[in-house]
Amino acid sequence: MKVSYRWLKEFVETDLSPKAVADRLTNAGIEVAEAAPLVAGLSGVVVGEVEAIDKHGVCRVATADRHFTVVCGAPNLTVGARAAFAPPGATLPGGQKIQATRKRGVLSEGMLCSEKELGIGDDADSILLLAADAPLGRDLVTSLGLDDWILEVEVTPNRPDCLSVVGVAREVAALTGAPFRFPAIAVKEGDADIAALAAVEVEDPDLCPRYAARLITGLTVAPSPPWLAQRLRAVGLRPINNLVDVTNYVLWELGHPLHAFDSDTLAQRKIIVRRARPGERLTTLDGQDRELTDSMLLIADPERAIALAGVMGGANTEVTAETTSVLLESAYFNPASIRRTSKRLGLATEAAYRFERGADIEGLREALDRAAQLMADLGGGAVAKGVLDAYAAPRPHPRIPLRLERIRRVIGICPPREEVVRILQGLGFAVDETKEPPEIVVPSFRRDVSMEDDLAEEVIRVWGYDRIPSTLPGGSLALVRQPAALRRAARVKQALAAAGLSEVITYSFVDPERLRLLGWDPTSPDLVALRNPLSQERSILRPSLVPGLLEVVATNRHRQIPDVRCFEVGRVFRSGGPDGLAREEARVGIALAGLRFRRAWYAGRDTADLHDAKGAAEHVLASLGVEEYEVRASASPFLEEGRRGELVVGGEAVGWFGELALGPQEGYDLAGPVFLAELSLDRLGALPPRRVRYRALPRFPAVQRDVAFVMPQALDVEEVEKEIRQRGGALLKSVTLFDVYAGKGVESGMRSVAWSLTFQADDRTLTDEEVNALHAAIIEAVKKRFRITVRGINPEGG
Amino acid sequence: MADKRASEILKGARGEAARAKSSADLEQVRVKYLGRQGILTQFLRSLSSIPVAERPEVGRQANQAKAEIETLLGERLAEFKAAERRRELESERVDLTVPGRRPPMGTLHPLTLVQDEIIEIFQGLGFAVAEGPEVESDFYNFEALNIPKDHPARDMQDTFYLSEDVLLRTHTSPVQIRTMKAQPPPVRIICPGKVYRRDADITHSPMFHQVEGLAVDGNISMGDLKGTLELFAREMFGPRTTTRFRPSFFPFTEPSAEVDVRCFLCGGEGCRVCKQSGWLEILGSGMVHSQVLRNVGYDPEEVTGWAFGMGVERIAMLKYGIDDIRLFFENDLRFLSQFA
Repeated sequence: MKVSYRWLKEFVETDLSPKAVADRLTNAGIEVAEAAPLVAGLSGVVVGEVEAIDKHGVCRVATADRHFTVVCGAPNLTVGARAAFAPPGATLPGGQKIQATRKRGVLSEGMLCSEKELGIGDDADSILLLAADAPLGRDLVTSLGLDDWILEVEVTPNRPDCLSVVGVAREVAALTGAPFRFPAIAVKEGDADIAALAAVEVEDPDLCPRYAARLITGLTVAPSPPWLAQRLRAVGLRPINNLVDVTNYVLWELGHPLHAFDSDTLAQRKIIVRRARPGERLTTLDGQDRELTDSMLLIADPERAIALAGVMGGANTEVTAETTSVLLESAYFNPASIRRTSKRLGLATEAAYRFERGADIEGLREALDRAAQLMADLGGGAVAKGVLDAYAAPRPHPRIPLRLERIRRVIGICPPREEVVRILQGLGFAVDETKEPPEIVVPSFRRDVSMEDDLAEEVIRVWGYDRIPSTLPGGSLALVRQPAALRRAARVKQALAAAGLSEVITYSFVDPERLRLLGWDPTSPDLVALRNPLSQERSILRPSLVPGLLEVVATNRHRQIPDVRCFEVGRVFRSGGPDGLAREEARVGIALAGLRFRRAWYAGRDTADLHDAKGAAEHVLASLGVEEYEVRASASPFLEEGRRGELVVGGEAVGWFGELALGPQEGYDLAGPVFLAELSLDRLGALPPRRVRYRALPRFPAVQRDVAFVMPQALDVEEVEKEIRQRGGALLKSVTLFDVYAGKGVESGMRSVAWSLTFQADDRTLTDEEVNALHAAIIEAVKKRFRITVRGINPEGG
Repeated sequence: MADKRASEILKGARGEAARAKSSADLEQVRVKYLGRQGILTQFLRSLSSIPVAERPEVGRQANQAKAEIETLLGERLAEFKAAERRRELESERVDLTVPGRRPPMGTLHPLTLVQDEIIEIFQGLGFAVAEGPEVESDFYNFEALNIPKDHPARDMQDTFYLSEDVLLRTHTSPVQIRTMKAQPPPVRIICPGKVYRRDADITHSPMFHQVEGLAVDGNISMGDLKGTLELFAREMFGPRTTTRFRPSFFPFTEPSAEVDVRCFLCGGEGCRVCKQSGWLEILGSGMVHSQVLRNVGYDPEEVTGWAFGMGVERIAMLKYGIDDIRLFFENDLRFLSQFA
């Protein structure tokens, strides 16, 4: 909310500069985001009078002692009008220096200025007109009070009382000790009694605990006087006419929203406050025809709805240029009800903003009186005698006992008692010191204060947070061990980063079209969809890390980074979790595209392939201590058939690896193959813990023998290796596959696969004869079982 | 007359060893004198034909000559080997400026680095990590934290909903509620994790990361909160960091405070980054609202507590001088590689 420093100083006698006031407020929790001069760079502009206008738009403008010829085509100029005039030598905001220039063949000596050109408003079409009695030649800055500062106050939701100049002034007074002056409000009432002229009936006091109204008659609608128009412009409001501007002025000054009905349009001049009827409609002031529900509170007359209570008035009873009498409403509405209505209709107004935060149920009378008198003054009317005030159950003021020990316990320190009392009184609280502990009486404008700790905060924020001592918590020593899931994720991240992959973090919400491309049905109830996504592209919670990883590959490839080796650790989501929540699972996903290693003189130019993805997955398993796993064929629809495998540990599928299918590869515009793997960290964490036991080092020498088989492409090496191990028995300590070759020298459809076998006994040195016999037996068994041949044996190994 | 043969053999060997031009020449000298049929070997064999009286002296001379020749040849051989190695190294020059063969090295995401650092600091102060679901109920995310439905404080956190009562958590505070409901005080936890708000521009991301902290004990005050967070700020941003505690409002804390650090770009003079204020907001905090304590079954007369929460992106942006939050989620490798 914008607060004018000059306006503020009407209510608090402070000598502090605008910047100092801003700092003091910020340090007390009323954050001033910015304090800046109202206009900057405006000089030399004065009050001028238009003496004559010819048909070509050439005006004669007079200041106190000179006359100027000015070319100006603005539509609102009339002879005799006083207006903002920039003679040669004046400067406008933005640095424009006014000089005499030739326009349409005439030497134009200066410029008549619009709000926009003066930097004080948005109107760029018409010239800023001034009061008829504004002294000729007087500096515009002084004349309009433009030597002002604007404080941009960001009021937290608990402090609606500070959504007003008076509220901020009360804070400044409490913070600085400067005297606070509430505006003097007195109504000169006429003879006519309002009770005879109008009536108010509240049908739903729960939603409208108080409704007050005054009647002002004999009014003439006109533009507001310049001082009022300028005040509104200074705080960012657009002047409209004297009656509407008064309600806005009082809203800003006292913080209470008012509404003015043209009382001649009200049936029987009777206000009924009730809920809307099902299907009832109202055209609001913004011209929208709205359908209402029975949860919405209405202002009506006996025939129809005339306003959405606390949110926006109706077009049917609006103040117009012809209005002569006004029924002025000042009410208190239930905050939650106003908020529901405003949200439901998507109608956010200044009034609703304040009512939903909580208006001042007592202060509404002052606002009503202030506005009624101003309307009568500015519109030449009279205020009828009396007030219609439906306030069935006056709200009591809460009384809260305040223990200074509680302040000390919560804050760590407490100001002296007299200081506590002084601070609370300065903020408008009454202190009953006849009680022990003293009881604090909460004023009606502080709905946010309801308990002892609220008072502790009031005391300490005014006294100064900088006076709170800095200490460290005591207490007993406790074991701090991070959760296993966190350690597991950290270990996997470290392992993959150390292996050359880059960690990425992608959005948890993905594009249903991308999911469809990858073979999911985006409408499946198994997936979790957002009800109010920011966009369709981010509307479904990811069921896999793959969509995000592919976006990363695509993004980088589009930016001339072809080689992407990345991973992400994060959660995936499926519906059907406990308590109506989602099933969340921590996973690690891996994507490899382009070169296997970063390009270097020693690295070769090989691109990553399926076995890099599998290897990365094995690396993850190994980093968590899992060395034994099986591979099963996978059926993932987004992976190429025959190039997709599932990783199974202890009978449970823990992840998969594979090559991205061509469809999604083209759909994502990836320009090349991508190899993927994904493992469930939660499933891996649920495996029985591995017990690490030391094994004695071998005491007798090992003997190594190599063998290469020529075998069909269709035969899996795992089959052969199983046979080797089985036939080798206890003396065969390890089997390492060290070469796979197909091509020249090997028959088509076949490949040569070579293993190195290590033999060792725990209790003796094996003899050559023993080893040779066992090695030969293994080879015979494999040859016979799979009907394959040996490619060549080097009995010495190597 | 003394037998001079031993000294003559030695003299001859010395001369030939000195003339040798390579280790191969030297080998020939060795064979000629010390080999099976070598001159000195034969001389030693012939000692039996020398008169008994002279035999010990001649034998001693011959053995001494043998030892001297062996030493001499050994020394000369070492010289040749050294010279040959020198020649070899000279002929196979290595360019020391060719880049080394590096094992591959990847990177951790800057948000991981910063989050880990925050966790490490608080772990040192006795805080354990607690985690909870990202898809939360309205109750844990709002109601239990003193933010009823239709309360304007809900505007502070624009929310993604999955259904009427299920949402993406807007902060990690529900983990605090879950933890307190599950255990009696004292509590000392930090809750890192992803959170979601319906907001997107260069300083707001619909998904971001938070670390929240909670301490509840019999006697714990706002002074302890202030001291702890000042310590954190100095650890995170450097020992000369100045902090400011400023009143604020959160529905789940009372009193509430925001913590600012003196702008490290302008030193407090005012600049574009700190919006001329000289301060940078880093986190929100406060004393746990007594209603929140009651909601989890704690007695606010028995225990007090404080909580704080910070955005990891915000801290990382300040720490590294990043000006657009979207960079964290674009994952351009040229961005990611800057933080390792």
